[in-house]
Amino acid sequence: MITDELKRTILTELELDDFVLHPDTTASEVPGWDSLAHVRVVRAVERAFQVRFSTLEVLRLRNVGDLQVLVDRKRAR
Amino acid sequence: MTACESAAAGGACGGARSAAGERLWDRWARWAQERGSRDAVVHWTAGEEPRRYTWSALVAAAAHEAAALAAAGVRQGDVCALVVRHHPRFYPLYMGISAIGAIPSVLAYPNARLHPDKFVQGLSGMARRSGLDWILTERALEATVRPLVAGDGSRARGLLFPLEWPAAEVGAPARAVDLPREVAATDPCLLQHSSGTTGLQKGVALSHRAVLEHVESYAAAIQLTDADRVVSWLPLYHDMGLIAGFHTPLAAGLSLVQLDPFEWVSAPVLLLEALSRERGTLTWLPNFAYNLMAERVHADEVQGLRLDGVRMFVNCSEPVRHESHGRFLERFAANGVRPQALAACYAMAELTFAATQTAPGRAAPTLVVDRAALSRGEVAPARDGAPSRICVSSGPPIPGCRVQIVGADGRELPPDRVGEIALRSPTMFEGYRNGPEESARVLVDGWYHSGDLGFLHEGECYVIGRQKDVIIVAGNNVYPEDVEDAVSAVPGVSPGRVVAFGVEDEEAGTEVVCVIAEADATDPEERKRLVLAIRRAGMAVDVTISRVHLAPPRWLIKSSSGKPSRKANKERIAREPLLQPSHDDTRRAS
Repeated sequence: MITDELKRTILTELELDDFVLHPDTTASEVPGWDSLAHVRVVRAVERAFQVRFSTLEVLRLRNVGDLQVLVDRKRAR
Repeated sequence: MTACESAAAGGACGGARSAAGERLWDRWARWAQERGSRDAVVHWTAGEEPRRYTWSALVAAAAHEAAALAAAGVRQGDVCALVVRHHPRFYPLYMGISAIGAIPSVLAYPNARLHPDKFVQGLSGMARRSGLDWILTERALEATVRPLVAGDGSRARGLLFPLEWPAAEVGAPARAVDLPREVAATDPCLLQHSSGTTGLQKGVALSHRAVLEHVESYAAAIQLTDADRVVSWLPLYHDMGLIAGFHTPLAAGLSLVQLDPFEWVSAPVLLLEALSRERGTLTWLPNFAYNLMAERVHADEVQGLRLDGVRMFVNCSEPVRHESHGRFLERFAANGVRPQALAACYAMAELTFAATQTAPGRAAPTLVVDRAALSRGEVAPARDGAPSRICVSSGPPIPGCRVQIVGADGRELPPDRVGEIALRSPTMFEGYRNGPEESARVLVDGWYHSGDLGFLHEGECYVIGRQKDVIIVAGNNVYPEDVEDAVSAVPGVSPGRVVAFGVEDEEAGTEVVCVIAEADATDPEERKRLVLAIRRAGMAVDVTISRVHLAPPRWLIKSSSGKPSRKANKERIAREPLLQPSHDDTRRAS
């Protein structure tokens, strides 16, 4: 389940009006979310949730669900 | 290690000197003999210990791959397309192909966005035009690529999965490889392709001599010494990554630290870490990389990183922006980045690589000019209060290369006049592979007409734009035709009534792709869906369309050829935003 807050953060950064994000949605399926935009999205999520990801955490993300799990884990700390 | 004497005298590093008749393999084998225990390639992957090849281990592994390739049927003169991701066996494989006199051609591994049909279309265009004999790839691409090998009219003889073959044993004695004597220094040693997705890719074949001579000239221009160490995140299907990043250090007997381009773009700090930990002295970067690192790296990630050992960050392969250098310097001065390390280069695959290069030990010179005069083709000092532009030099021609600025009539222009940049060099290509018409268009009386606009000032070349409509996004060429064809096919868009062009994105330090498409739709929901469909059409050809403007029928200005004009419509949209803005019209202004 992707929270509205995460979805809004991602879509705002990508300047998309609306787009359905499932846990298994990958960046390559989302308009504008190319390799160059990826780090921008990651930084926007860090800012929005006041968390910090390590390089390896960023590189291991496979889909939006992984990003949600990572955010939840960081926030639970 | 000490700098070689010739370098101290301003010449090339002794190691970069080529002997008559020498081929790449001869050079690499020599380094295995003379510098066997030194690092040749350091394969860097985030979170892992780097895989280090010494010169003797690398050449031994290449000999092992060469034997396996020969056993698989690869013969001298065969073109071998290499389509693999970041992998430690890439280097010996590439060199192993060369060791049997075959011709490697590194192609981009398709990313997940690119539609498989488009990838195959591009590959089959290259197979037809360039004659790819073998496709060396990963099992994951088998289903996509197999039909091409079996297809009618394809010359491709086979599909190989060399990463699955038994690897060379570490420490095993090197097999002797005797590169066939009939392979001449003038024979092709590699084949590079321009980017693009619809079979427009042009192949450039380079000879052993061209690559070795180019490295020699370029080594002199950057005063390469034995103390140098190259660190690169650049993809190897691109001339900057392949020639500057890979062939230059290897031909000069130095070492290369190679990062994964996909990892770097997601975690740009990796390059800075690698430069610091591996004591890199040289790195080549397209302009957007300066912005990306300046803006997207956390302060604590670079704490303690030492970048004072980097003597040149060479900005190359997209227009050099003064702003980007400024941001990078300000951000990393505390880590030891010095203004004099910010260098620039003007390069293209047609010349092997570099045409011009700024001098080492000196910041790339800048010139503040009057913008209005520049648009009239004249270089004049900026006037108080009048709009100005800061132009960054790409340096004087490297040894052996000549640069001319030519006017519309084809005649040479004097300094401080803007025209097309024409070039001539001993390591220039002889024409595109199987592309006589394309070749005749750009090669005129022994000069290569680059299609780039620029001027000469005090002997240095300033590149300021392009005659061609090609859009350079993060160092990659995007052809507007590819985007227009894809968007034209979207239901709801008037076929053929589409233009695509580049718009400067100052924050990103590169261009972004903008599209204007004529459509009948007036319902806001329908227009939203159409905008999304247009962006998806871009994704399928691996192009990110950042801005979409929907225009009413007959809005686009046509050129004399009857087709919508990119330039005129780009100017019109900047002047008069559309009355019924689509969502994307509200995106940040350029």
